[in-house]
This record gives sequence, structure tokens and C-alpha cells, in this order.
Amino acid sequence: MSILHEWNNLQTRRRFLGRGANVLGAAALTSLLGRSLAEAAPGAMSTQHLPKAKRVIYLHMVGGPAQMDLFDHKPGMQAMYDKDLPASIRNGQRLTTMTSGQARFPIAPTKYKFSPAGKCGMWMNTELLPNLAKSADDICWMRSLNTEAINHEPAICAMQTGNQIAGRPCLGSWASYGLGSGNDNLPSFVVLIATPTNRDQEQAISSRLWSSGYLPGEHSGVSFRSKGDPILFINNPPGVPDDLRKQTIDGINQLNRLNYEAVGDPETHTRIKQYEMAFRMQASVPELTDLTKEPEHVFKLYGEEARKRGSFANSVLMARRLVERGVRFVQIYHNNWDHHSNVNGRMPSQCRDVDQPCHALIEDLKQRGMFDDTLIIWGGEFGRTIYSQGGLSKANYGRDHHPRCFSMWMAGGGAKGGQIYGETDEFSYNIVKDPLPINDFHATVLHLLGYDHERFTYKYQGLDQKLTGVLPTKVVKALIA
Amino acid sequence: MRFLRLSLFPLLTTAAFAADAVEFNRDIRPVLADNCFHCHGPDPGTRKAGLRLDTEAGFFAPRQTKDGKQEPAPIIKGKPDQSSLYQRLLSKDEDEIMPPPETHKKLKPEQIAQIKSWIEQGAPWQPHWSLLPPVAVTPPTPKDAGWAKNPVDRFVLARLEKAGLTPAPEADARTLVRRLALDVTGLPPSPELLAKHLPKDGSRLSDAQVRALVDELMATPAYGEHRARYWLDAARYADSHGLHFDNPREMWPYRDWVVKAFNANQPFDQFTVEQIAGDLLPNPTESQLIATGLQRCNVTTNEGGTIVEENLANYAADRVQTMGWVYFGLTTNCAQCHDHKFDPFTQKDFYSLAAFFRNTTQPGLDGNVKDGRGPVIYLPSDADRPRFKALPGEIEAAKKAALDARAAAQKDFDGWVAKLKPADLDQDVPAKGLLRRFALNEGTGTPAQTRATGPLTWSKDGQTGPAPLLKKGANLELGDVGNFDTMKPLTVGGWFRPANVQGLQALVARMDDPKAAQGWSLFLNNANYGFYLISKWPNDAIKVTTAKPIAKKDTWQHVLLTYDGSGKAEGIKLYVDGAMVPLNLEINRLATSSQSKTPTRLGQRSASEFYEGNAQEVRFYDRALSAAEAFALARVDGIRAKVAGKLAGKDRAAVLDYYLGVRRPDVLAVATRQTALEAEFKAIKDRSPLTHIQEERKDMMPMANILLRGAYDKKGDQVAAEIPSALGKLPADAPKNRLGLARWLVSEQNTLTARVTVNRFWQEVFGQGLVKTSEDLGIMGTPPTHPELLDWLAVEFRRTGWDVKGFYRLILTSATYRQAAVQTKEKVEKDRDNSLFSRGPRFRMDAEMIRDQALAASGLLATRMGGPGTKPYQPENIWEVVGVGIQAYRPDKGENLYRRSLYNYWRRMAPPASLDLFNAPSREVSCVRRDRTNTPLQALVTLNDPQFVEAARVLAQRALLGAKDDGARLQAAAERALARTLKPAETTILQASLASLRQHYAAKPADAEALLKVGDTPADPALPKPELAAWTMLCNQLLNLDEVLNK
Repeated sequence: MSILHEWNNLQTRRRFLGRGANVLGAAALTSLLGRSLAEAAPGAMSTQHLPKAKRVIYLHMVGGPAQMDLFDHKPGMQAMYDKDLPASIRNGQRLTTMTSGQARFPIAPTKYKFSPAGKCGMWMNTELLPNLAKSADDICWMRSLNTEAINHEPAICAMQTGNQIAGRPCLGSWASYGLGSGNDNLPSFVVLIATPTNRDQEQAISSRLWSSGYLPGEHSGVSFRSKGDPILFINNPPGVPDDLRKQTIDGINQLNRLNYEAVGDPETHTRIKQYEMAFRMQASVPELTDLTKEPEHVFKLYGEEARKRGSFANSVLMARRLVERGVRFVQIYHNNWDHHSNVNGRMPSQCRDVDQPCHALIEDLKQRGMFDDTLIIWGGEFGRTIYSQGGLSKANYGRDHHPRCFSMWMAGGGAKGGQIYGETDEFSYNIVKDPLPINDFHATVLHLLGYDHERFTYKYQGLDQKLTGVLPTKVVKALIA
Repeated sequence: MRFLRLSLFPLLTTAAFAADAVEFNRDIRPVLADNCFHCHGPDPGTRKAGLRLDTEAGFFAPRQTKDGKQEPAPIIKGKPDQSSLYQRLLSKDEDEIMPPPETHKKLKPEQIAQIKSWIEQGAPWQPHWSLLPPVAVTPPTPKDAGWAKNPVDRFVLARLEKAGLTPAPEADARTLVRRLALDVTGLPPSPELLAKHLPKDGSRLSDAQVRALVDELMATPAYGEHRARYWLDAARYADSHGLHFDNPREMWPYRDWVVKAFNANQPFDQFTVEQIAGDLLPNPTESQLIATGLQRCNVTTNEGGTIVEENLANYAADRVQTMGWVYFGLTTNCAQCHDHKFDPFTQKDFYSLAAFFRNTTQPGLDGNVKDGRGPVIYLPSDADRPRFKALPGEIEAAKKAALDARAAAQKDFDGWVAKLKPADLDQDVPAKGLLRRFALNEGTGTPAQTRATGPLTWSKDGQTGPAPLLKKGANLELGDVGNFDTMKPLTVGGWFRPANVQGLQALVARMDDPKAAQGWSLFLNNANYGFYLISKWPNDAIKVTTAKPIAKKDTWQHVLLTYDGSGKAEGIKLYVDGAMVPLNLEINRLATSSQSKTPTRLGQRSASEFYEGNAQEVRFYDRALSAAEAFALARVDGIRAKVAGKLAGKDRAAVLDYYLGVRRPDVLAVATRQTALEAEFKAIKDRSPLTHIQEERKDMMPMANILLRGAYDKKGDQVAAEIPSALGKLPADAPKNRLGLARWLVSEQNTLTARVTVNRFWQEVFGQGLVKTSEDLGIMGTPPTHPELLDWLAVEFRRTGWDVKGFYRLILTSATYRQAAVQTKEKVEKDRDNSLFSRGPRFRMDAEMIRDQALAASGLLATRMGGPGTKPYQPENIWEVVGVGIQAYRPDKGENLYRRSLYNYWRRMAPPASLDLFNAPSREVSCVRRDRTNTPLQALVTLNDPQFVEAARVLAQRALLGAKDDGARLQAAAERALARTLKPAETTILQASLASLRQHYAAKPADAEALLKVGDTPADPALPKPELAAWTMLCNQLLNLDEVLNK
């Protein structure tokens, strides 16, 4: 192979997939070289050790679910109803300006029934999450997440990018950067925004949350939309059938080839590939988004809601179809968990939205033999306070943001099923055992994907940037099967 | 790093072999920075063993370790054997070897060898290149001296010759005209421009012709628009606040200022000073104030719960970061939390810079409103300006006049009150035009002439006896009274006491909900009163609300609404407790009748907005009561009660007020004048654009606290405003504020601004800077490919008085720029990234240029400049899924669909989708270098986006109407899309396409019909639809060619 030819090849792929940046990590090089190489040696080239997970479905509960109403069982609180949170527990914790003016901080015990689930005996809200409880032994429960951020914007940003300040790549982008694409016709990182049944406490999310930050632009999440075209501009204009579009693209490519002969710019070659792929993507998306071929039992498993475009159940089913087709990272946002007031009016519908679909996803992936190498993550950006914000009664209360501890769970993809990790004090206010900072959590997820977070870097502004930042960070082995 | 090595390899080797002398800046520092600076760099926090390799002393001076041991210098000049730095690189001992194995860093053998050579050559040390003043060396004399057209070319050619390369031939005339048009104006050449400038004999452009073309293009306003677009990326300009709700922010006058500044060729030093410190200049002009908007372009928040101090710290940090990238070419933001690991930029430096930018009157929360709660300036129209200027003085005078009149009337009052009996006051209650009065003080049952919707309860503590307590299911129908019509005057009002001030509540209304809310309603929206007069909501209606929330829960207020029957919102006045209150005129487009069939109701509209609270003494008039009458109505009952007793103190003052308000129209007129003037002032403000400006706090000197780990609540030492220590110090006589900073930025003392700026300008034209990392000229940035050229350009830029047009003219007329963009095998091998500029620039254009080009080629482009952001076509559900709540994107109609992309409304959480896909930044932070990726999603935009499909159709239409046969039509379309004629091989392909497209649309006329409906401009009905559809798709092909997408 001549140098020219070889370089043309490399350049073409690089420009095609990348931004022409002149600095790229070794891991990413594989992804740039595309699928054929990755297929020849699956995973081995791109990962730094043997991965347990090959793909991720991340279910982000926007707003911050209340851990003590779902997973962090605090039976002792029942006797403390409407008593003040001891100052020794609050211990100087900064408050949002929404409750910093409150005269007192009365304890609001959960109003929901908890009981132990699975062989692991996970005490959880089985009243609102009866289906999820059936998966208890497949799930790795984490009750000691903590974050620095106390408001939504910075907290979601920290959860997704490892840093409160906007502008860094999110977990999905890192995964895409490392793992590359598993399907030439689809993006490697897809985002779905599920519409919650109740929308009265929605919080801001923005496209910056799935931006690739300083990573090359193709690692940005591609938003699959629940209204209009599923991918922006994926549909031909009216009056242009596929075969006609194919003809016009062929014409464009013929003309581009002539131009390449005259000018010799390898970018032109890239353009030809770009248009070919655009057409393949156009051809594959309708099949992908067509749920009519899914058998009845699937809808039985996920629930009838799964037929409704944009619902959480529908998004989760779509996520399964995406990962089945080689998409590496699916991020789903489910909003409306910001229960400053009226937990009673909001929590049941929130749980109804997610309970059955989460259980269904685990079962479905198992049936397809994909559970063991698909990592599912569920959680919000922070927790909520044991004390009530605003009015308190036994039947209803509200809770403010609480960054010091919150609960999440993982399943599949090498996460240790039945593990219950971390412990908070009797008020679910401070962590008393095995704190799990976000950066450690990220390091662990990267580990499951086959990357050492210390060495999984990207050169930017002169620094070897990494997801886990500059502070000491560790992989939490106890979470790994 | 691996790939960097690969791509720079030809460069490094040619450089290294060409000159045997090792150069510290080029060969040594980058290697040390990459491998050693983390532990041995400027940051003492992570420094090990007290050793630093970022300073000269660090290499050559013995040092004391922490435990007091004396260590010899790590480098002994000329003696690698005795230099511990070198020896440690060679060590085989795990504890000795550097870098330590756990860092996963390792030097290559050739790097180690080079360090050895450097020590052998006496280890000559240099400060980092960008911190040395730029020096204009004499341009080299290349062998092929005839090629060079100006000094730029001599530098470039000398470098090419060193690499064994020759320049590409000059581009042909058409290519060059297109390239110049795109680089100067961001738009393709029109056929007219081509015809004017192409040499008739097909030869290349002469120097004089190039110069004439450049000058002509630079004189068009499109020049400033194109230059401004790059600057607005750097300035992070957008039309929304950026966080949480991400609501609109109004500051497009700043955007327009930037366009004007470039068009006026404002020298770059002035351009800088005005944007950094325009407000601190002596007697700043309006334009200089607008310029300070640069500093108000940062994202802001109004998220509930956020802490003001933290927000302000973030805003200042963003300004420092922007300054770092745009003016210093240094990445500053790491120093927010710790000293920089590589560049000589400490945490103290960061906060010293932050001090300049923190000293502002800007609040920490933007209120989710367009003025962000200030500081802003209003920019009234020329017609409004004289009044806007005069009004503050007039308002002051009116205030004084009102006080004087009041004092003068005091004596008359004393006489009047002495004789006053309560019954004398009855005459003050307006009787003329009274349609009906509902006293509502019966205390039991249902009041006369009303119908209750449920059993009423009565509160004892009314204004004039017990008052009914209204709520949903227990309020009153008042029958047919008050069927007000659009062109007739009216008055309605009474006493109200709301039980809450949340949400919408109709106090008294005659409004037919199912009939597009026809009728009227005096309502409460939270604590604001308001009034609707509606024929058909919302397009045939008036809506006003009080400018401020004034209603109070559980508090009686007299609310009276008058309307003069003019059909205009300006004819509405609202009095609360007798005083006229300022109104916001929210909707003002009532044209047809507001009369409705539904009964008038107290406490609700026909089916909604239920009021909870008391009401009393509700009156209807068929005329607009005067201010004096309104005052009397609100006060008379209270005054009557007071007059019955003994008058003293507060009571006497209240009666005086009453006397002045009701019996002394002369005094009232003076007081009313003040209110009217204030209202006039507010109305001008409301209809004037505003823009955010910077404003210095006058009550303190610029200072900041170092924030430990960047956290707003962990305050360290206080520091004064100062420039980074490695760059020097502000002159002693310079003000220690932004003005001092701004003047220093463009002074000879600053080694950076001119370099960073010319590098960025070069990057705009050539696609890459002489320093590729245009945001980072620091130690970790890429080294310059042509250091002498960069310095020469920097000095030249300054020498010419920071002449921006002159600078572009210099590079656009160079032989370097005029080269054809043709690749050869040799060039691919030796200069594959075109870092040496061995051929002309050719790269995929930026998002805005691609869209603007399609609009211009088709002739759709609307050239109107300036004004609020435009909203062209965009798929649904792009805005709706981000932010809080539902902010729907409503595309504009008409001209705004086709204006330059520069003017696109930029919502930071969801920037214009089609531009975003082509790497347009979100404008959340400063961006001086865009990505340039090529993804399939981009192909989908130019193939399928209605904007591009419509452009193809209009281009097709133009070709069909403008030429007679297929051949000529093809050439006409190609000339507009490509600025050239088609080659025979291309024509053959296009003819084949056309034939098959024709066949399709002839067979499927419905497809043709559907395709031609895309876009708002109607298709020319004179053209046969299948033919136009076929040509539309053909033009869609043309607009998607690589050559079209590339410059």
C-alpha cells in the first residue's frame, strides 16, 4: 500500500468520523478505524482490560427522587414525625434558598410501605415499585451516592459529566469515544427524552447534557425525538421517495468523484462516504422505530404504555431495540422527580411510569442473552431531605434537594446483582458507611466498560482530560460481579 | 498524544534535521511539559521535591529540598553525565527513573537523545515564546523571489523551500473570485459580480484586479456581518440567558454594534477598549456603552435556590476564561481552583483578573426577564429620543410643582374644612352616567337585581357594612348591565378583598369563554390587576396589567377601571385606592365589537377564573370617570366617617388629600401631570430595544477573594485587580480597573493580544492558525508553524494602527492565499494538513456560510441587517424538550425566514438545529475555534431541511425562467451554486439525473405537487409542476456537492 493511499484511507476515516483534530487517544483510534477492525478483534483493541459491559442504558430521573421514599429504608423516622431534625445531623449543611428561610425542619417519615425484596432482602418501597422488587436480586443497590451540587443545573451536569461546570463531555460521549460504533448505520450514542405522565414539576434539561464537550463532535448524543422526525431531517422531503433519493445521492457522488479526480482532496472522498451513510441511516431508521413488529408478549411485559410514543415505557423499549442494533449508549431522561411539595400527588405516577418498564427491560435483556453485557443505570442527580419543605401531614409532604446522600441502582453488564452498598444514618442525611462519590461511580462504570479511568483520557487544552477529574478517585470493586 | 506525534511528524523531523541546534522552545520544553510539569511545574500544590522545570532557575540553580538538603542543579551545562535530570531519564531503578512508572508517561529514545544534545550544546534556555515580545524580523529571501507578492509570501515560501516543496499554481479567476467573496463577505459571488470581475480572456486575475475585488467586497455591509460572526462566537453572544428557564435576553444591539464596528473598520485597539471598558471612558457615548455588552454575554441563571454569591463568582470566572482565550491565548480556567500546571498562571492571577470583572452592579439572578434585572440601556427610536431625553427633567419638575401646588392650597383647605358637614360630601359621588350600583351590604340573602350561583356567606368587616364572600359556586350574576362595546367609553369597579393572590381571578366580568372569550374582565393575575376587552382572543383584543403587583391578600382595595372608547389600550386607566397606577399594555389590537351575550358576573367569567374574596359597592358607568371622580369614589366613604368626628393629625391629613384630589382640579392636574409623564417615560422604555451593558460599582475598588478550590464560600486572601504576574504589571499611573486592563491589553507591553488576534484572523481564512490551538498559545498549545511570520504579522498589525481591513487585505492579496487548492502526491506526503500552506485553503464551510450560500444562490436571501433574532424554519420539539416549562419555537413568516444566519435567534439550550449539526457552538462559553466534523447528520440537513429544499426550488425556478434550454439552464444553476461553468462530464451526469427525475415526476404528479409545497414562498404557477419538481431535485443535488459545501 502506497503512503498516499494509506494516508488517504486514514484521513478519510478520520475526517469522516472525526473533526480533523490532531490529537486523539489510542482507544479512539480504533473507533476511527471503524467497525471492520473492531469486528476483527472485538473489544480487545479499544478497551484497556476485558470489559464486562459492551453497552449502557442510563435512565436518569431528572429532579432527584427521594431516596427515603423509595430505597433508603428508615423505619425509625415514623416515631419522629414532625420532630425537628437535630442540628447535629444537619451539621452546617448548606441549604437551597428555598428552605434556608424555614423556621424549622420537621421530619417527614415516608408514607409508603417498605418490605424486603428478593433473596438479598433489599428493603424498598414495594407499594409503588412492586415489579422492580421482583428484580431485586439482579440489581446492585447503591445507597451512598453523594454530590457537591445542590441545585439541578449543576447537579445534573455533575452527574453526567463529572463536573458541575458545563462544557465537559458526558458519560455517553466518553463511552462512544471509547467503544466506537457497533453499527455503521446508526450513531453510537442516542438520547431519548421520555414524557412523564405528570409534568408539573419538570426541571430544565438541555442539549449540553449530551454534548461531547471537548471530545470530537461525533460523540455527541443524537437525540431520538418523540415528535416529528425521530432523527432530525431523517425523512425525505414530501414527494421524494427513497429510490429517487438514492438516485440523487448517486448523482451527487458521481459528481464528487469527478471533483476528487481534479482536485485530489481526500475530504471529497469523505463526503462520498458521508452521503452513503446518510442514505443507509435513512433506510434503517424506519425499521428501527417501527414497533408494530414487536410481538404481543413484549407489550405485556413492558405494559400498554409502551405503545405510546415518547412514554417512558416506550423509550425503554426503544432503548432495547437500539442496543440490539449496536448502539453503545442510550441515555433516557425521565423528568418530574423534583418533589418540593405534594409527594403524595406525584410519587405514585412517577413510580408507575418506571416500575414495570425497568423490570421488563431486565427480563427482556435476559431473554435475549444481552443482560450480562448490558449495563442499566437508574438514578437522579441528588437526593432529598428527610425534613419537609412547606406543610407537613402524615399523608403529604414535600422535600428539598439533598446532595449528601442519595440512592441509585445498576443492573447487568457486570454489576453485582443483589448487592446492597452503602449506608446512611437514621435520618438518611449523612453517609455512615461506604460513601460513593460521583467520580468513583463514574470510574466504576468505565471499569465495567473496559477502561481504566486514569488512562482513559483525551488531550485538550494541553491536559490529559478524563471523566473523573483531578481528585483521587477509585473503582469500587464491591459493585462488580 | 499519539496522534499528535503522527501528524506533526513531518514537521518536527524536517525542522530538527534542517538545523542541528536544539532549540529549547521548540524541542525541549514541549517534551518536559508533557511529561514532567504535572509534578515539576508552576503549581506548588502538586510540586514534588521542590523541583520546578518551568523556570530558568529550576534547571541551573542548586536547590534546597524540604528536609534541608542541598541538591545540585539538575542540569550542568555541557555535561549530560553530571546532569541529574538526564541521568534520571536513563535510570533502570524503579525508584529513580523519571517519569515514575505510575504516571504512565514515558519519553521516547529520540526525545531523550535530544535532551542530551541540548545539554551538550550548553543547554541554552528560553522563556516561553509567547511571553517574549514579538519582533519583526526581515522577511527571508526565498530562492524563487518572483513568486512573493508581499512579505507574507516570503515567509511562507522560505518555509516551503526548506521542506522541499513548491507552491501550487495560482487558482483560476472563477475559483479565486468565489473564494474571495466567501472569505470577505461569507456569501458566494453573484453572477453580476462574476461578470464584472472575470477577465474576458479567461486569464487569471491581475494583482490590481484582486485588490479591486477585495476593496469592493470589503465596502459591502456583508463584510461586517461575516467578520462579526466569528467575533460573536468568541464573545459567546446569544439571545437567551442560558440556564434553567433559559428565557429570552435582549442584547442584539450589541450584536449589531459588532457588525457596525467591523464595517466602519474600527481599529482593533479601540474595538477592544470599548468592549472591555467603554463605560469607564470619559463621557462614554451610547455606542461605547453598547460595546461593553461583550461582558454581559455570559450565561446567567434565575434558578430558585441558587446562591447569589456563587452565581456572581461564576459570572466573573466566565469573563476571565473568555479574556484568556480571546486576548491572552491562555487557558485560565484551571487556575480557578489551583495554580496552572503548565503555564505561569497562578490562582492569585486568576482572582486578580476576576477582580476587574466582579466589580459590577449586575445582580446574581437574571429574573428570567429580558433585561436580566440590569444594568441595561434603552435605545429609543429617533422619534422617541427627544422626549426620552427630556422626560427625566420634566418628571422632576412636575414632582416639585405638585408639592408646591399642594402647599399653596393648604390655606384654602383650612377655610373649607372649618365649615364642612358630612352631607356636603354626597355631591362628590359621581352620578352622571351611572348605569347601576350594587351596594352589596345587605348582610343576608341575595342582593337585589342579582342571582347567586349558590348560597352566599357574608363577612362582617366590609367597607360599608357586611360584604358577600364570593367563591366558585357561590358568586353573583348581575344580569345585563355593562354590555360594554369596543368604541364606547366605560367605567367599572368597586371594593375588593381577595382571600388569596394566586393565579387568575375575575373580579367582575362579562366574558364568554367558549366564544373566544368575547367581552371584558377586570381581573387579578396573582397580585397584579388587569383588564381584558376582547372581541376574539387573542388576535382581536386588548389586555393590560398593572406594572407592579399591588393587590394584597385579605386587604380591601378600591379598584376602578376607566376606558375612553378609543379602541386602544392607551385609553385605559386603572385606579387603585383612587390613585392611577402604571400599566403594561400587553395586547393592543382590538378591532371589532366586544359585546357579548353572557351575563355580567361578579367573581368569574362565564366558566373560569373564579375569584375568592369579598366585593362591595360595585358600580358601572357609561363614561370614563375623571381622575378626580375616581379619587372621590375611593375615598368618600372613609372621609365622611372622619368628618363626622373631630379632625386632627392623620385624619386631617387624609381630608386634606381628599380636598386636593376632589375639590381642587387645579392641584390634581399638576399631580396627574407627574403620573402622565412617568407613564410616558415608561411607555417609551417599553417600546424601545434595550441592551445589557457593564457598569462599574462606584462604592468600592475592584477586588476579589481567592476562592479555595474555586468554591464561592471558601474565601481566601483578598486580591486587588491586576494583570497576571508573568505578563508584567499595570503601569503605575494606569487606573486599577477595566480601563487600565483594556489599555494594557492593546499596549506594546502586552506580548499576546496582537499575536492571538492575527492568528485567529489567519485561521478564519486558512482554516487553521499559524498556532493551531488558537485559544492556547501557552506551553501546552501547539507551537507555531511559522513563528517569524506570526511575529511579523503581529508587529505589522500594530504598526498599521490595528487596521483590520488592512490586515485581511494583506493576506487575501498574497500569493499564498491565491494558490489553487490542488493536492499532489508530494504535498500529501510532506504537508498533508496544509500546515505549510503549500496550496490554497479548501475546507468545509461553517454552518452559517452553508445556509447563507444556499439562500444567496437561490436569490432568496434577504439582506436586511440588524434587529431582534430571527426564527427561520425549524422542526418541532427542539425548544420544547429543553429548559423548564414549554417554550415553543414559532417560526417567523416572510423576510425573516431568509435573512443571514448571523441573525438567527440563538437559544443556548437548543441552538438553531441545522447550524448545531454543522458544529455551530452553543454560545454557552467563548469559542475561538470551531470543530469541523463531517457526519451523516449534516448530509441530512442539506438534503432534507425545508430551508435547503426551498432554496433548491427557487434556484430551479430561476434557472427555468432565466434560460431557454436544458443546457443553458444547467449552466445558469451551476454558476449560481458553483460560480463556474460545468464540464462536459458533469453535464452528462446531470442530464442523466434530470431525465430520470423528469420521468418520475411526470409519472407521479402528486409527488411533484407535494415537493413544491415545501417552503413558504409559493412556486411559480406558470411553470409546469413536474418540470419544476425535477429541476428542484436537480438543484438539491447541486447544492449538496462537495465543492459547494467547501470554500
